[in-house]
Amino acid sequence: MTIPLEALIDGAVRTLTEAVLPDVTSRFARGQLFAVVDVLRNLRDRLEVKAALHEAEAASAAAALERAAAALGREAAAARIAGALAAAPAGPPAERAAALRAALVAALETIDVLPPEVGDPARAAITEHLAAQTMRDLALLKPSLLGEISKG
Amino acid sequence: MDDDLGARLERFVGERLGAPVRVIHLERSTEGFSQETFVFEVEVGRERRGYVAKREPVAGLLEPYDLEPEFRVLHALSDDPLPSPPTPWFTRDPAVLERPFYVMERLPGEVPIPAARADGSGPFDDAERAALGPQVARALARLHAIDWRARGFQFLGAPRPGREAAEHELARWEERIRRSGLPVSPPLAEALLWCRRHAPATDAITLVHGDYRLGNFLVVHEAGGPRLTGILDWELVHLGDPLEDVAWCASPLWRAGTPYASALLPPEEFAARWAEASGRTADPERLCFYAVLAFVKMIAIMLSGLAAFRSGRTTDLRMAIFDHQFPFLHLLLGMTRGWLAGAPA
Repeated sequence: MTIPLEALIDGAVRTLTEAVLPDVTSRFARGQLFAVVDVLRNLRDRLEVKAALHEAEAASAAAALERAAAALGREAAAARIAGALAAAPAGPPAERAAALRAALVAALETIDVLPPEVGDPARAAITEHLAAQTMRDLALLKPSLLGEISKG
Repeated sequence: MDDDLGARLERFVGERLGAPVRVIHLERSTEGFSQETFVFEVEVGRERRGYVAKREPVAGLLEPYDLEPEFRVLHALSDDPLPSPPTPWFTRDPAVLERPFYVMERLPGEVPIPAARADGSGPFDDAERAALGPQVARALARLHAIDWRARGFQFLGAPRPGREAAEHELARWEERIRRSGLPVSPPLAEALLWCRRHAPATDAITLVHGDYRLGNFLVVHEAGGPRLTGILDWELVHLGDPLEDVAWCASPLWRAGTPYASALLPPEEFAARWAEASGRTADPERLCFYAVLAFVKMIAIMLSGLAAFRSGRTTDLRMAIFDHQFPFLHLLLGMTRGWLAGAPA
């Protein structure tokens, strides 16, 4: 998630109070809406993204960076990738996952300037992680309400 | 709806028509995620006329906003056979609606959206696809045939023949990503690196709609089948490689749960029909580049919306839904780039 949970809840509360509430005329529905806002405001400081999600991502990313560095053997690029991996903080899980995402981006850039016969195995190690992480993220995605959102 | 907004539109339209008008219906549209769109109907004497006002948002997906280029294009095309909405008026005067806006005539039809139905099927049945798909391909060819020099569209900035069209588009979206201030995900980084190495050359510089796809088509359902009555949302219009539009329209982003380009035609058939109608070549190398760039562009748009929401500059919660949609984008991007198995549907 790019937006911190607190900012997401603040935005939802703003939308409900500023954009939705003025158009709700039934007293009962307005009461229910205020209750939703009240719940959200009180949840705001009690929530955090499940640590297990970040830990799984970080473990997979770290393994991919290790494999990429190993595939590059004695290349200087291997040392840079290993250095970025070592520099990632051990925790908290969200910070470690974010640091390893940045390390993956840097590793892709490092590999990109290498000849394909040198860089391709290392790139494959990283894209293997990207595929696995995408599937992990997708498993959490609920069916889209884009149609309803668009049509109102 | 805001009575004051209606009164302001009455004055604005009345002054331009030189006759008193009365707004009899005014509604904010929910379809557009970028500009603010107001659909309204006025009474002029005994006649009723439908209009659509497009206003710059305070913040949103395509910052920084400037409606004037698209207005100038739409205004110039108002007499063209292409089904673009005739667009008579634009103003920057903040006294009217606080922010710049333009007014176009309302065309008949409805906007099918790029989302699968509840049963998982796409928005069109086979007969509708067979009727509408070729119209969409031909209209795009017609759009690319517009003589932009004769129309005076040089103000859009013409790329030189060669790689400049591709490089300019890539740079434009990279700049938007950078401006969002949000981190580049590894899948996006992989795509950007690939795009930088594979920007193709072209000598064919045409008008490019920039957002030609399901969701921006107006369609009327008639006894003889569906008819394309409007091409909407020109805010990304520019000069460039016409295959950018072909790849965007065929992108997995807009297939609505079907395997078809904009839920209409198999992607290869769509490109072939466009090539036949335009007399141009659907070069696979260029199409491949713009197919990947489509994801870069979409992710850049989503990041801009998220940044606007995160900063509190917009309260539109629709911007926040992008945050959990990235895995879906990464899935389609991974399939397109080949690091995820399977073909994008």
